[in-house]
Amino acid sequence: MRVRTIGLILALASGIPGAAPARGAESPAPPLNEKLESLLRQQAELRQKLDQLEREIRALAGGAAAPVPAPAEPARPPLTATGPRGPQDPVGLIPLNLAEGTGQVTSATEFNPSISVILDGLYYNDNRGGTAGELAAEADGFHSHGGEEEGHHHHGGAVDRGFSLRETELAFSGSVDPYFDAWAIVALADGEAEVEEAYLQTRRLLPGLQIKAGKFYSGIGHINKQHPHQWDFVDQALPYQLLFGGSINDTGVQINWLPNLPVYTLIGVEALQGDNEAVAHHLGHSADHPYFESKAGPRMWNAFLKVAPDVGVASALQGGVFYGTGRRHQELHDEDEDGVVDEAFQGTTRFFGTDWVYKYESNRHYGAGNLTLQGEYLRRVKQLGLVAEGGEPLSGGPEVEFTQDAFYLQGLYGIAPRWTLGLRLEVAGMTNQVEGGEEAGEWGESRRYAAALAFNPTEFSRLRLQFNRGRFSVGGVEESFNQVFLQFQISLGAHGAHKF
Amino acid sequence: MKNFLSVPILLALAAFPAAAALDVVATTSSMGMLARTVGGDAVTVTVLAPPDRDAHYLLAKPSMMVALRRADLLVAVGADLEIGWLPAALAGCNNSRILPGQPGYFEGAAQLDLIEKGQAPDRSKGDVHPAGNPHFYLDPERMAQVARALAARLSALFPAEGPRFQANAEAFSRSVAARLGGWRREAAGSPGVLFFHKDGNYLADLLGVPVLGYVEPLPGIPPTAGHLKGLVARLAGTKGVILYTTFQPGEGPEFLAANLKWRKEQLPLEVGMKDDGQAYLALIDRWVKAVASGRS
Repeated sequence: MRVRTIGLILALASGIPGAAPARGAESPAPPLNEKLESLLRQQAELRQKLDQLEREIRALAGGAAAPVPAPAEPARPPLTATGPRGPQDPVGLIPLNLAEGTGQVTSATEFNPSISVILDGLYYNDNRGGTAGELAAEADGFHSHGGEEEGHHHHGGAVDRGFSLRETELAFSGSVDPYFDAWAIVALADGEAEVEEAYLQTRRLLPGLQIKAGKFYSGIGHINKQHPHQWDFVDQALPYQLLFGGSINDTGVQINWLPNLPVYTLIGVEALQGDNEAVAHHLGHSADHPYFESKAGPRMWNAFLKVAPDVGVASALQGGVFYGTGRRHQELHDEDEDGVVDEAFQGTTRFFGTDWVYKYESNRHYGAGNLTLQGEYLRRVKQLGLVAEGGEPLSGGPEVEFTQDAFYLQGLYGIAPRWTLGLRLEVAGMTNQVEGGEEAGEWGESRRYAAALAFNPTEFSRLRLQFNRGRFSVGGVEESFNQVFLQFQISLGAHGAHKF
Repeated sequence: MKNFLSVPILLALAAFPAAAALDVVATTSSMGMLARTVGGDAVTVTVLAPPDRDAHYLLAKPSMMVALRRADLLVAVGADLEIGWLPAALAGCNNSRILPGQPGYFEGAAQLDLIEKGQAPDRSKGDVHPAGNPHFYLDPERMAQVARALAARLSALFPAEGPRFQANAEAFSRSVAARLGGWRREAAGSPGVLFFHKDGNYLADLLGVPVLGYVEPLPGIPPTAGHLKGLVARLAGTKGVILYTTFQPGEGPEFLAANLKWRKEQLPLEVGMKDDGQAYLALIDRWVKAVASGRS
């Protein structure tokens, strides 16, 4: 469909008379040239005549619609000779059709949808032979229990040492019709394409209400809805990495309401299919795991509230709380990695958190002096029943409750025109316990510190150097690591607006 | 703090929305000035961009969304000037009445013929605006044209006040027309202007004064030593004046002024957030005077 539309646009574009002079100028045959020129002259004359007629019609219509006496003001003073200075409307009442002039002058709509491409390249190294990135998946209390081939590309996980291209993002957006806007963002990585987001959003509904439907990043928290190229650091913040396996990106429906209040207050509710390895992992009943039950979606429900009091023209403050629950979460544990499931758990999860952002825009130049402070706290509780042990179904197994939390705090400051310095502290597992079952116990916490220096030549490009130092609790032992990233990010195409 | 105190009052007001003034949100102070001048007391105007900031680069703040949420009409500059933040603010304001294409969306650039239109959309030339130069707000004649179109739009939204909007727009047009000759005479013979950015081009065009160059090497790119030296080499021995706005850095202009022995002047690009048409005309007076000062 889109291919056909683009084809049509191209076909039309090649037929536009404005394209003719360029081609004519290249042509060596003088008769053809002359012909073209005369044609163009004729066209210009015709256009002039049309304009004049249009003006006359307008004047007539104006006279008919409102027979006001001609204003005392004579014709407008002559304009400079640099070219046409806009339509010569009669002074006085302009009968303007309401549907006229509501348009927008922008280069982004020349193609509908507007298209942009984001490139994200990386040089990476660490002091653990390239395995530092995998430590996060092994941190005590935060094991990844997908139990399936990792089909999704991981945000902020392990990276190859040396050069690599992270995902290349193709973003399409536009208005569908008077009722909907739509976005489609496709991420290409390692020869695979994944639809990162594909959703529609209502344009007109009840006042203040908006519905989003499709696959999208959940509105909970602050960082969750950011694409990897919008992060202020190369890697995803630890709370999201460990408690949500990156971020909550799922298929479903979101309804949000912005009531007409003097203080920004946004309330949102989401019903999502439930496809997140960390909080809503659904494997379903099958020959491989007969002990699991299947459950139809939506299996995940989220709610969020964001409030932003007005704190003056130069700064902004926003605070939020959120809650979510996974109605059917299934985990396969294979601790010795022998391919035989040691334990299978099934149950529900719930999480809640709070997110805070403060931004200050200095009056200095090219971003110097701008400050962003933000922090988020997440807490996740998994209430799971042991349904299989040693690959054999188990009835009446113990109920096990896993409770973990994490937070990050980060600051970004424009240290000089076009240069930004970011510092981040992340701690996971202040509460890190398992109650019930054989695994009951408490685990240590994991920390990471990051410093990132970014150079932003323009809004469309960025170079970032980042150091991470971490100390993770793995199998009860403290493992520390250092990481270094050098990243470039490029944005081609339509100028995207920056969300708060 | 003030906002919290005013919550009950505003809630009380919200309960009686009938016959209230039109709620107009303007992106910049200049557009706010127009809305105020044309709308008079039939409109309440909120301005989103502080006048001392570059309207190219702003944050899409939640407070903007609050203003847009209740707006009956959005008055924007357009031509991609606000592209970095307005689309995000509009997407988050949950108010369909003021989306582009709706009667509640009004963009100055869509009412006009812009200059410098049709540049290749090639960002190696800097932050170009293929749709045309969006800085028409320093052109009083074009602003008068926008005022008339705005009067028509306001009339459509608030027919009872139509004649008044019309009369206000005409009065503004007349006061511009009355001064135009004087401005042109004052600036006549000015050898030319060196701007920081392309934000004064409409005014130079209106006054018939040549633009000699720009302090920034390309739109949106900070001045480099090489570029400034190139300007000095090219313009040495000639006459002119260097004009830049209050939010543009002064180092480049200072270097040029010292090396070319030219006058430099830093001026506000926008009127104040609550200013009216008189303040705008006074601002144009200042700019014209500054342009004319290149003669001496």
